[in-house]
Amino acid sequence: MKKITYIFIIIGVFSVSAFAQDKGSVFIENATLVTVTDDIIENGDILITNGVITQIGTDLSAPAGVTVIDGTGKFVMPGIIDAHSHLNTVSTNEARNPVTAEVTMEESIDPNEVSIYRALAGGVTSIHLMHGSANVIGGQGETLKLRYGSTQDGMRFDGAKRTIKFALGENPTRVHGQGNGILPRTRMGVEQIIRSHFDEALDYRVKREAYLSAKQKYESDRRGRTAPPVPVAKNLRYDVLNDIIDGEILVHCHSYRADEILMLMRVFNDYGIKNYTFQHANEAFKVAPEIAKNGAYTSVFADWWAYKFEVYYSTAFNATILNENGVTNSINSDSNELIRHLNHEAAKTVRYGQTSEADALKMITINPAMQLGIADKVGSLEVGKQGDIAIWSGHPLSIYSKVEQTYIDGTKYFDLANDPVDMRIDISSDDNYEESFTTGFIKGREADACMSDVFQLIQE
Amino acid sequence: MNIRNIVAGLAILVLVTFSEKATGQDAPAHAITNVTIHLASGETLSNSDIVWRNGIIVDIGSDLDIPFDVYTIDGGDSLHVFPGLIDGLATWGSPEQPRNLPNLEDPGNPPYDRAGVQPERKPVHYLNEDKSISAAMKAGFTLVGLGLDGQMLPGQVQPFNLSSEQLTEAHLFSTSIGLQGSFDTAPGGWGSGAYPSTQMGVMAYFRQLMYDAAALQEHMNYFEKHPDMPQPEHSEVLEALFPLINADIPLIFEVDSKEEIERLFRLQDEFGFKTILVGARKAAPLAEELKNRNISVIASLDVNDKPKWMTDAEKESKDSENDKDGEDKSEESDELSEEEITFRAKQEAAWNSETQNIRSLIDSGVSVGFSSAGLSVKDLQSKITLLVDEGVLTTTELLKMMTHTNADILGLSNRVGDLKVGMGAHLILTTGPLFEKGTKIHTHVSQGVINDFMEN
Repeated sequence: MKKITYIFIIIGVFSVSAFAQDKGSVFIENATLVTVTDDIIENGDILITNGVITQIGTDLSAPAGVTVIDGTGKFVMPGIIDAHSHLNTVSTNEARNPVTAEVTMEESIDPNEVSIYRALAGGVTSIHLMHGSANVIGGQGETLKLRYGSTQDGMRFDGAKRTIKFALGENPTRVHGQGNGILPRTRMGVEQIIRSHFDEALDYRVKREAYLSAKQKYESDRRGRTAPPVPVAKNLRYDVLNDIIDGEILVHCHSYRADEILMLMRVFNDYGIKNYTFQHANEAFKVAPEIAKNGAYTSVFADWWAYKFEVYYSTAFNATILNENGVTNSINSDSNELIRHLNHEAAKTVRYGQTSEADALKMITINPAMQLGIADKVGSLEVGKQGDIAIWSGHPLSIYSKVEQTYIDGTKYFDLANDPVDMRIDISSDDNYEESFTTGFIKGREADACMSDVFQLIQE
Repeated sequence: MNIRNIVAGLAILVLVTFSEKATGQDAPAHAITNVTIHLASGETLSNSDIVWRNGIIVDIGSDLDIPFDVYTIDGGDSLHVFPGLIDGLATWGSPEQPRNLPNLEDPGNPPYDRAGVQPERKPVHYLNEDKSISAAMKAGFTLVGLGLDGQMLPGQVQPFNLSSEQLTEAHLFSTSIGLQGSFDTAPGGWGSGAYPSTQMGVMAYFRQLMYDAAALQEHMNYFEKHPDMPQPEHSEVLEALFPLINADIPLIFEVDSKEEIERLFRLQDEFGFKTILVGARKAAPLAEELKNRNISVIASLDVNDKPKWMTDAEKESKDSENDKDGEDKSEESDELSEEEITFRAKQEAAWNSETQNIRSLIDSGVSVGFSSAGLSVKDLQSKITLLVDEGVLTTTELLKMMTHTNADILGLSNRVGDLKVGMGAHLILTTGPLFEKGTKIHTHVSQGVINDFMEN
């Protein structure tokens, strides 16, 4: 009998993958709806049809055949969005060159990482899977929906803007300057790396376009009087840098100190780059008005600091100060442990800085959605948006509340009432039960998650 | 002497000259007679003979007219002849990877070799003597696709006839049949390593190589027609990629996991190259896609052994049949936590899936050959026994994988992979059915070169 039970559980686990890409329909009635972009709706109903929110209000009726959830006493809010995560990377840092714009986390997704399920249990539905901070210009990011049990392609967030990681300060100077004796060794060098690479990219574009134009002319000249051009090879790195300059890629920049934050804004103004986000930004509170004036965003920790020298000057009021100054700010995790309770991290802004509950919730929903270019699709409960939601047992900012169910595109990916004892997938026949259990388990807050695999490399 | 006699004399002279030429330049023929001949398809020819000359099979069947100059091995009615086995990709004889690499001044812009990019290398120029080759010969292998140890693009794959531990140009079966590839990162640790150091870096680097090679090829084409334009700078590395860009040869790519194979698909979609998978130990979920893309697999037989708890349970089950005192042992398994019981169920499913990998690929219509891919010949027999005992593959299927299908995948099936007139004499004389315990290789013939193992 016991064996039959477990086989049933396993079938349940793998059935996740069977419907991983499906769009679901569900009707939740009589719940408190935390819309985020509008007022809270008491005793509200919400209908998700084929993955899209189609009705929000009170006294609605469930269409025939749609699953009905009794939301009495529950809170429904948009799925949490983590703007800074390395949750399921295959590798995080291509740390061998100060500029690696050509690499992309799109090709470093592990869809089988059990931490995805744990994040779902914290009400998270989307993450920004980021390159690490070893390089001044690191790799491109990938925004994911946490469709656990799906494929690496199946996890991608269709229509999300392209992003890229920049990093200032100690990490790139330590890895490349101190580590390899090359630029950048100082913060001045970091600026120079950015400027010189943008200039090289612009120069390349001129040459490449001239070549393509001459080639077209040569190939269309049937009389053979035109000389062929010397080919200029497509350059993946420079193409990406030009896409940044053209506004097609959103920059998310690892940064801590106020002076380097100001530096990057000067550089970006020189190149006409807009719509960028400072990640971590522990000293952003010092230059909040300047950040607001430049229309830049911030994505910060609630109260995590002092893990290296440049992160000592920090305050738990950072998020509140930024918010009060009109900066669109999000609270992120950068950690496979913190991501499970980003609601608590947002709640700290209420506790420390008396930020309004509404604004605190924006910091883990619509604000990160704006920073990732997906605010037209998720981040709030609005008709027409995608059905990425979480049902909470109580107010999401309460320490006592738990996530009861998490939906992506109207499909349920987490259910506290049906939470199997072991949700690991893609187990190998030579895995060791003890070891694979412990290595897969959450180790707590890592000192500097953005650098994790670089430290491993150094130790080799 | 009249004219008629002179003409007749000249005619005889010419005839003698030509007939002397016909036999004088040919090596003596060889034959194995009175044996059961097994073709790659599994079909058998009993009481048959096979004859070859100059490395090529010239006759096969029963009651043959054996040439007068033949050197004959008599099978005595009890021996068997099989087509010689082919290993799709091995790195026997490859020089060891350099150790203690010097640190680079600029690890972000390494020379090609330090990035793991050496597509210009041909194994024939690098091979060392290797006892693995004689071990493989004794296991029945007569031909191998040889590559080199390395990283992203270690070199070209060349087919060699196996008749010596030291392979040279004399053993080459044909020109290069592909480029070897993998997602392996640049060599070296933190101090001496270089870009690319991650799989995403390898993918980006590969793309840039293809762009650079395409530009160089275009430049060279232009220059050929317009010698008055600036001369292209030759690059043996980039030029070695031209056949890949032009889809003339495949990328013979070592990859196991589903996710990595999907990443290879991305590169293939972008550049349109041909590819053959090596290893592919977890490729089954992508079988349909492989079939649709017409991608063949030279599979590894290196399936994992059963998890210990599974073999213990089987042993306990057998013991309990003979031992009524088995109740204590079943109590022990009840003490497992729910997590561990669940884990074991998943692990058992994983083992079944891994073991059935090749079966799933074949059943989906994927062409599956064989590559030792690092598996020693010593371990090969135990893996074959496991796959046959578990009912995954029959010995006939294994024979076909290791002969005709492998030759077909490598583009050599018009010359090797079966026993037919006109094909290279790659065959083995055995004391019994192939892959069965106790069967020994009596004689090994690679492109006509004989090794008699019973003499040693």
